[in-house]
Amino acid sequence: MQSEGPTISDTHLRDIDVTLNGADHSMAVEPRLKLSDFLRDEVGLRSVRVGCEHGVCGACTVLVDGECIKSCLMYAVEADGASIETVEGLRQDDGSLHPIQESFYLEHALQCGFCTSGFIMAAKGLLESRPDPDRRAIREGLAGNICQCTGYQNIYRAVERVAADMEEP
Amino acid sequence: MSVEPEPQPVPARDPDLSDLVDASIRRVEDHRILTGEAKYIADFGNDETLHAALLRSPHAHARIDTIDVSRGEDHPGCVLVLTGEDLAAEYDPMGCGITAFEEWPLAVDRVRFAGEPVALVVATDRYVAEDVVQRIDVSYDRLDAVVDVREARKDETVLHKDVGTNVAAAEVFEFGQVDDAFETADHVVERTYSWERATGLPLETAGVVAEYDSETDSFDIFSNMQLHTHPGRNTLPQVLGYDPSAVRLHCPEDIGGSFGTKITSLQRYCYLAAVASRKIGRPVKFIEDRVENLQGGDVHGSDREYEVRLAVDDDGSIRGLDMSFLDDFGAYPRFSIHSVIKPLAAVCGPYDIEHIRYGYEIVLTNKTCQTVYRGYGMPQHTFALEKIVDDAARELGIDQTAFRRRNYIEPDQMPFKIPSKNVYDSGDYPAALDRLIDVIDEKERREGGLLDPSTVAERRKEGKYRGTQPSVFLEPSTGGNDWPDRMRMEDPIESFSRDQVDEPPEHFRAEVHPDGTVTASLGTDSAGQGHQTLVTQLLSDELGIPIDDIEVDYLHSGQVPNEMGSAASRMTVMLSGAVAGLSQELTANLKRLAAVEMDCPVEVLEYERGAVINPADGARLTLGELATVDQEDDGTLTSLTHEYGFPGTDVDDFDDAYVNKLPIFATTAFSVNAPIVEVDVETGAVDILRYYTLHDAGTAVNPMMLEGQVHGATAHGIGLALLQEFQYNDIGQPVTTTLFDYLLPSIDNIPEMVLLQSETPSPFTVNGSKGAAEGGTIAAPAAVAISVNAALEPLDSDIDRIPISPKYLRARLRGSGSTE
Repeated sequence: MQSEGPTISDTHLRDIDVTLNGADHSMAVEPRLKLSDFLRDEVGLRSVRVGCEHGVCGACTVLVDGECIKSCLMYAVEADGASIETVEGLRQDDGSLHPIQESFYLEHALQCGFCTSGFIMAAKGLLESRPDPDRRAIREGLAGNICQCTGYQNIYRAVERVAADMEEP
Repeated sequence: MSVEPEPQPVPARDPDLSDLVDASIRRVEDHRILTGEAKYIADFGNDETLHAALLRSPHAHARIDTIDVSRGEDHPGCVLVLTGEDLAAEYDPMGCGITAFEEWPLAVDRVRFAGEPVALVVATDRYVAEDVVQRIDVSYDRLDAVVDVREARKDETVLHKDVGTNVAAAEVFEFGQVDDAFETADHVVERTYSWERATGLPLETAGVVAEYDSETDSFDIFSNMQLHTHPGRNTLPQVLGYDPSAVRLHCPEDIGGSFGTKITSLQRYCYLAAVASRKIGRPVKFIEDRVENLQGGDVHGSDREYEVRLAVDDDGSIRGLDMSFLDDFGAYPRFSIHSVIKPLAAVCGPYDIEHIRYGYEIVLTNKTCQTVYRGYGMPQHTFALEKIVDDAARELGIDQTAFRRRNYIEPDQMPFKIPSKNVYDSGDYPAALDRLIDVIDEKERREGGLLDPSTVAERRKEGKYRGTQPSVFLEPSTGGNDWPDRMRMEDPIESFSRDQVDEPPEHFRAEVHPDGTVTASLGTDSAGQGHQTLVTQLLSDELGIPIDDIEVDYLHSGQVPNEMGSAASRMTVMLSGAVAGLSQELTANLKRLAAVEMDCPVEVLEYERGAVINPADGARLTLGELATVDQEDDGTLTSLTHEYGFPGTDVDDFDDAYVNKLPIFATTAFSVNAPIVEVDVETGAVDILRYYTLHDAGTAVNPMMLEGQVHGATAHGIGLALLQEFQYNDIGQPVTTTLFDYLLPSIDNIPEMVLLQSETPSPFTVNGSKGAAEGGTIAAPAAVAISVNAALEPLDSDIDRIPISPKYLRARLRGSGSTE
């Protein structure tokens, strides 16, 4: 006999308040709802991609209170009170791309693009703590994200480019 | 990595090519992806959509005694439960690659691999669907599982009783006088090699949203299936019992990678979602999760045991090659024999070998079934070939590089028909090898380089053995599509004639709008390769209009009657031909329209940069103006469909291959690879310090994207060489079911690549381009293997399998008594 999972009637919705890309959201969610599914399905932030749901691939990486988090490993209720940043919040006020997005474009650091949101958020987290990373720091900062298309060569170049651009006055 | 970035040599430009070919145009796909707006399959669906989950078998081999769905159906969120019996009552089995076998999308009576779907649940959301799955009770009678390919071929446990054997197919091909060559050669070197199961894993899993429309009794199925318009691969209409026009397969503009793996896996999921949607009358969505993808997602690649012999004379010339292998296809031959016979397209690799025997056996075991994966049988073949060449050189005491050079096909032999009848189009293999060797000598063998002799000696004292073995590797690309029917032929091959060859064309459309913009439509799908950019670039070049004036979209299966599509590294060549052909037709039509408007003979008119001009009086009509004129009539002169025929059919040299139904690849790209490896003999770890590669795919249409393909394909090959391996225990339980066990290369595992490009145009294609998306994956495992061999030569040790995992290598080194 297989065990029975929880059913709808077993669950109790919980109210959470989160700041998403600067805007406040209040919502009632199931306690078992993953943060990744909350962001995608409840809020409609589809830049958050789900690639493995067990914390290896990094496609669902977002910043939670400034820290890189794999949103498939966190429940939405655990994010109550937190400020969350996703790719949707990166665009500049004038609509232009964020320097990290621009560098990924210029250096051809994406192909199918499924991992790209995660890499961009991981790169943002990295550059906020290490504005001028060497290759070793880039490697360590992005080792939690998998890209199956680019062979990573142009991802190095993109991060180096944005770091160099940020240095310029 | 503290290394100075290598200067990337700029490829030579062919002066005859116009502005935008050979230009690194940046991609038109990127903006929507970078901003998160791209819509992948998981983003499809609406408020009406219901969600599916699968109950999968926990056993590798069992009879299904009973399935009790009642507790599942009692769940308030449950909408539908389907079992194999429900399907068998109304529909046909899925298409199977070898027709004697039958495979249902949900197991009927018997499960044959752990992870095989047994029931489908449709519910209000995916979480609830998984709750319902837990409430379905199946009772199984377990059977003995057969997991070893050599055991399986004894047929003591047979997977498919009605077929009666686990050997699904076997052939032996003989070219030349093989026995005579081996009897008379001065030396025969004999080895066995193995290649463990692995595959490419696109980060996006397979997914589908199926919508049945009861009013028209037809389906719209959105899925990330690769080759969604290929009538032979997309067998859904037949198995559902519908006309092809009533089962419209649509692809999202953005697909999160495929590498071949999404060709067949979607057959099961699209079938199930379509049936469920028809029963319920609402859209049904299924997104495979990663664990089911790894365990039973029908995506594993080749799994081979090779026996190889090489006949060599005293002067170092290779007389003959004799190669046979068993390939573990898993429980069902979902795909046919393509992957086992594709290597015939480059059976001798870059070497001039006259006498060749090539045999395969496809054997079924209680594992998930194989699919297509980048290189498609070629990485395994290339590994076995390069290894026997390497091992023969060592056994005979000849320098490995000199031995290779002695046997390479020379440039004056091109185009070169190999014994198995495919034709290599162009290339100077020895010169390419020399060029990369010179670069490595200059950069790495000098003082301070990675192969500085004093450093190499120093590292050896610490148990770290360095080495590299440069070699030439081939990539049969621009694959034909007639030969794979070999297995489905009713009449003997001898009766097949050249005029029966059926190669599907590339279906391409373009429409000019009154504002002067152009919408182009592709007959295939794209999973990250950048086909929209490629077509935009080619069309901009042909028509002389700005890139921003061009949009590229995708057609659904009902709009494309006959198409091969995006596989076998075809698209650069096929789209180049399709765009050139359509543009030629379009500009002729534009001149006809303009001649009427200008009241002048058509012959005096010229087309230039988006307009037709009469040089005599300077009269000028733009694309938009001519489209307006045309639309006042029936619009057919500025809205065109062009079908570009496969280029191999125009080359008589391929006829021998065609009439024998042997693999045809219209182009053969090549590369030289030389990873510099360091083996830690204590831990068994292989570290690639730097990966040197020279790549030649003919004329580069977009060198930036070509470089991206080489990087990506090489990274796949490195993952295959060192990390990736699906493992099963002796009762057929998969033990690599998460990405913690099945290891994908991260930025931490992939070394710096030093990529040189050269361009040897293909004489067989419209702009000299060759397909290039698989070469890195074909080459890298073999390149790493022979470089590890080179590193281990002082220990008189070598390797004989892929992947070269630390555990394997430690055992191997212990076995040779060279460490611990």
